[in-house]
Amino acid sequence: MGPVVLKAPFPRRAVYLTVVRNVLHHLFFGAALSWIRNLAGTAPALISMTLLLILAGVVGLGGFALHLLADRESADAAVLHVYLSDDASSTDVDALRLKLSADSRVRSVSYTSKADALKKAQNRPGLGDLASGAGSNPFPASLDVKLKRVEDVSGVADSVSKEKAIDPVQPTSYDPGAYGRLQKALTYLAVGGGAFLAIFGLVAVLVTSNSIQSAIHARREEISIMGLVGAPNWMIRGPFLFEGALTGGLAGLIAGLLVSIGAGVGATVGGSNRLGALVPGFTVSTGVAAGLILLLVGILLGAAASLIGLRRHLMAPEG
Amino acid sequence: MTAILELSGVTRAFGERTAVEDVSLSLLPGELAFLIGPSGAGKTTLLRLINRELPPTHGEVWVDGIPAHRIKPGRIPALRRRVGVVFQDFKLLPRLTVLENIVFALQVTDLKVSDKQARDRALDALEAVGLGDRGGDYPAELSGGQQQRVSIARAIARQPGLVIADEPTGNLDLDTGVSIIDLFADIARFGAGVLVATHNLQIVRRRQQRTLTLVNGRLVRDEPAGRVGKLGWAQSS
Repeated sequence: MGPVVLKAPFPRRAVYLTVVRNVLHHLFFGAALSWIRNLAGTAPALISMTLLLILAGVVGLGGFALHLLADRESADAAVLHVYLSDDASSTDVDALRLKLSADSRVRSVSYTSKADALKKAQNRPGLGDLASGAGSNPFPASLDVKLKRVEDVSGVADSVSKEKAIDPVQPTSYDPGAYGRLQKALTYLAVGGGAFLAIFGLVAVLVTSNSIQSAIHARREEISIMGLVGAPNWMIRGPFLFEGALTGGLAGLIAGLLVSIGAGVGATVGGSNRLGALVPGFTVSTGVAAGLILLLVGILLGAAASLIGLRRHLMAPEG
Repeated sequence: MTAILELSGVTRAFGERTAVEDVSLSLLPGELAFLIGPSGAGKTTLLRLINRELPPTHGEVWVDGIPAHRIKPGRIPALRRRVGVVFQDFKLLPRLTVLENIVFALQVTDLKVSDKQARDRALDALEAVGLGDRGGDYPAELSGGQQQRVSIARAIARQPGLVIADEPTGNLDLDTGVSIIDLFADIARFGAGVLVATHNLQIVRRRQQRTLTLVNGRLVRDEPAGRVGKLGWAQSS
């Protein structure tokens, strides 16, 4: 008779598998089941988190749109439009273009014809109907001068003001106070946005942890029993952390979907990218990204609020 | 024989009030002892000191060789796993069946216990308390006495060296209470030290086990098994 081969699991591996199975069972599956069972108790936390996240999403998208606008304004501030007279000769225009190109403060010079200026105006919200409705083309041709530094705009504008090819009524786009106003607006925006985010974050954590705390309070008996029979704190904390993350995740998912859909509809209503026209860079994918961020924030917020809510129930014995 | 439980000069104060004062006692493996005294005598506080729900203000508490009086918070669960606790209000999870309650307690305290091992041990414990056929029931479907038996099964399933019980017969009628105490005597016969706090003097008198009398936080009498005479704290003060 040949040797008998005993087939048995390698003991250490069997223990590891048991530990993994128990962790999955008690920390995740058990927590998920318990979360479903206690959904009614979790509802207030879920609703308040969803509302907070929707608000955060709307405010966040608004802030992002303002940031894009500020970026565009900032970039525009370093571009000087030199408007050309309708009867300027091509020789005068070429001479002016050469003069500007030779200026060390200038990065580049490009020409926009009257027809191109009209086309650009037709794409701008608010100006489109006005431009199309006008009998003749009211927009002048221009030389668009990109400068190396925004501070040089006034010097370059002065240097071309006496040129023959220039429109005598409105020679350039230079507005002496515009740059200062823009800087001031950007500072206010950053400070205001930062303060709002700090207050909002604090309120969100407080409201969410209070709501989740009520749900945890309703299950204090279970927590107390686990502690009294000798379950380690991480074993007690783990399922609640996961349940908090589930609550936050669901709130984030609902808020994310609503905000994404809202932003998507805003961006594509009427078949044209209206939001994109108002705020360059704002697209449907911006809304989707906002939705995903809200989902992640919801998960983190729910888990953090659960941890804070549990602290009271898991205090080490006094002394 | 080394004591499974040893208290030496233990005092526990809550502000101005002293709940337990200078208590010293020891309990051997296999020994069943009753802790009696009027309400507010400090019985529950003493049990909570043993399970390290509270630290002592002074003195030493040794449980199965572990110094509970100076244990680090992170080690408390390990100490509690050596103590089986039975509560007056059973403390069973209503959403789990009887069997699941015991399996849950076994697995959340030791992740290395497989489902099969946990179920086998839980069934053994339920057999031991006479409820082998009720594993699938929910606690609400059982009588008070049966729920207390489940609570005892949960306490002994891990085979701890020490079992403590706080008024385990407090919610039960006399006959059921006697059967529960008989169960504790059986557990002690299998080698565990058992300390039962009660103020049911009828049962204590009937069992004639070692009896410790606590009055105003002080241990005023320690009567050995078989020599329990007239009980009543009024005579001790």
